[in-house]
Amino acid sequence: MSLTNNYFDRLINNSASKNTAAILGTLITTIALTVCITLLWPFGNVVEKIFAGGTFFFIFWASLFYWAILADTGKQAWSRILIILLPVLAIDTVSLLFNLQIK
Amino acid sequence: MEQHTHKKLYSTHAWIGIISGILLFIVTFSGIPALFDHEIEYWQYPAYSEQQNTTKAQTPFNLERALQASKDHNFNYDNYFIQPADKINNHVILAHFIEGKEPDLRYLNADSYQEFPASPSELNHLLGYLHTDLHFPRPWGRYLVGLSGMAMLLAIIAGIFIHVKWRKEFVMLRPKRSWRLLLTDQHKLLGLWSLPFTLILAFTGTILGLLGLISPILALAAFNGDVEKATIAVLGPKAEVTGEYSAVYPLNELLGRLEIDMADTSIEFIQVSGLKIIRSLEKTDDKTDDKIFTTEGTENKELVTDVGGIIKFSGYHKDKLSNLESVTYNLSTGERIHQGSFIGKGPFQRIFAAVTPLHYVLFGNTWLKVFYALSALAACGLILTGNMLWLHKRGHGMQHWLSKATLGICGGLVVATSIAFAASQVMYAFKFSLDSGLHHTSEEWLFWGSWLAMIAAPFIIKDGFKLSHYFLRLTSLAFIITLVADGLFNQRWFWLTEGWVFNIQMGILCSALVFLYLDYKMPNKANIRSAENRQDNNYSAETV
Repeated sequence: MSLTNNYFDRLINNSASKNTAAILGTLITTIALTVCITLLWPFGNVVEKIFAGGTFFFIFWASLFYWAILADTGKQAWSRILIILLPVLAIDTVSLLFNLQIK
Repeated sequence: MEQHTHKKLYSTHAWIGIISGILLFIVTFSGIPALFDHEIEYWQYPAYSEQQNTTKAQTPFNLERALQASKDHNFNYDNYFIQPADKINNHVILAHFIEGKEPDLRYLNADSYQEFPASPSELNHLLGYLHTDLHFPRPWGRYLVGLSGMAMLLAIIAGIFIHVKWRKEFVMLRPKRSWRLLLTDQHKLLGLWSLPFTLILAFTGTILGLLGLISPILALAAFNGDVEKATIAVLGPKAEVTGEYSAVYPLNELLGRLEIDMADTSIEFIQVSGLKIIRSLEKTDDKTDDKIFTTEGTENKELVTDVGGIIKFSGYHKDKLSNLESVTYNLSTGERIHQGSFIGKGPFQRIFAAVTPLHYVLFGNTWLKVFYALSALAACGLILTGNMLWLHKRGHGMQHWLSKATLGICGGLVVATSIAFAASQVMYAFKFSLDSGLHHTSEEWLFWGSWLAMIAAPFIIKDGFKLSHYFLRLTSLAFIITLVADGLFNQRWFWLTEGWVFNIQMGILCSALVFLYLDYKMPNKANIRSAENRQDNNYSAETV
């Protein structure tokens, strides 16, 4: 068990893992966040929602990238990504299902 | 800021720069001629300025005559674009785009609506397409450009945070000290002075490049993944072909209505969809204002429209930052069916409407464009000094492959651009026929061939400083040859020209002088410690 844990720690705690979190992890989180903000943006019509999502995409990406890259370890970087990604994914799924049901 | 955070930001800034630097240089440098796309297009083909001279004054655009001319010149497409004359190019362009093929373009005199031959030179397209798509297949090149913009944005953000002594760095240049200090000072000076412009260019460029990539994401949220529906919601409807035809609504009347529907808007494109030509043998001499007829013996060509046909006028606002203003009318009834205006709308619609005007300077005057071009040139210097600093701090000289690649690709692009300018004019000496396409092909071959030769040069000539001097002199020489060739083959000596031709010629002359000045100022050698002798790490006290 501890051997598996050690292997996992080594895998996730290195620089490559941190960089992957900063590049790939943030991209996935950004996409999820963009869908979320486009779905839930409370102001304006549907065109405004689309452009709100489009503008925030780049802001989210840049902010999340630096938040992940400034983490001390790869584990911390992935934690920062997942702490945003998981709730946002849940909101996206519920909202999209809700939208589909309405239509 | 804590030192370890500062150190991480510094390291990220350096690595982003070194990974994306060369690509970023290509995109940024090619952005300078792309900024003057219309002006270069006007200058590259003497017939454009001759067309201007034959037109006594800027005649108002006549849409009905343009449509009539399109049919007279067998431009028989259901869906095409008309670009009215603008303040630079005083001719009307008809364009039909075919996916995966070269577009069909026709050029008409803005006064007589007579067709004249297209430009044999495609210099503006060669350089403009490098900036927007890197000459890669669409949309992959566009995405790569967008990603390089994102890298630039990230590097700028880190750059802002790591330069804490910015007040001092704003005016600090120590040319008499070491090569490394000179590079550091130049990097900081160029970065700080051009910061607002590089930030705008990076942000807007990233949006323009990656918009195609994020559109499906936005459409997923707003329209359950239907990109087509999202496009219609933003840009207006498309023609719905019914197969039922009727007479065309008086189009010049629609042009008149635009004064109210699109006040203070400069019309840049007119999209016509669903227009059809019907040939009949019925003899008629009838020419009314309401219908457009031509009589050719007994054959009568009547212009009709599908009842679902549309005409869409789009352009940019003269006072506000928006290039997404549009109004769509039904071609048979003249009914307004869509108005797309981003003025006075929500903040995010206004941000997106301002992206293209901010990136391509569709506001202000020519001097603002020149200022943008200088900022882009500063950004090029910023990228180069950044790469050189990274290499220098690691003790790498010209032996390192990245030094050679940086010099060959970046310096080579500058030389190749100037050679393409020269080729565009020298080729007029050979008077190639337009159909052969040899003028344009030669331009392309010379551009790519010379760039390739310059990329290979650092691997042959070991002294990077000497080679840089050669590159700078070659660039100046090619620009001067451009002016001489323009005078010799087109009789456009710059003391005889005026208007945009003169402006562009002055731009070329100034560029030649700038590169000569850089050649004069650039040192002939530098002290670079070898990697083995280096003791300190890359993040030195001097950097902090």
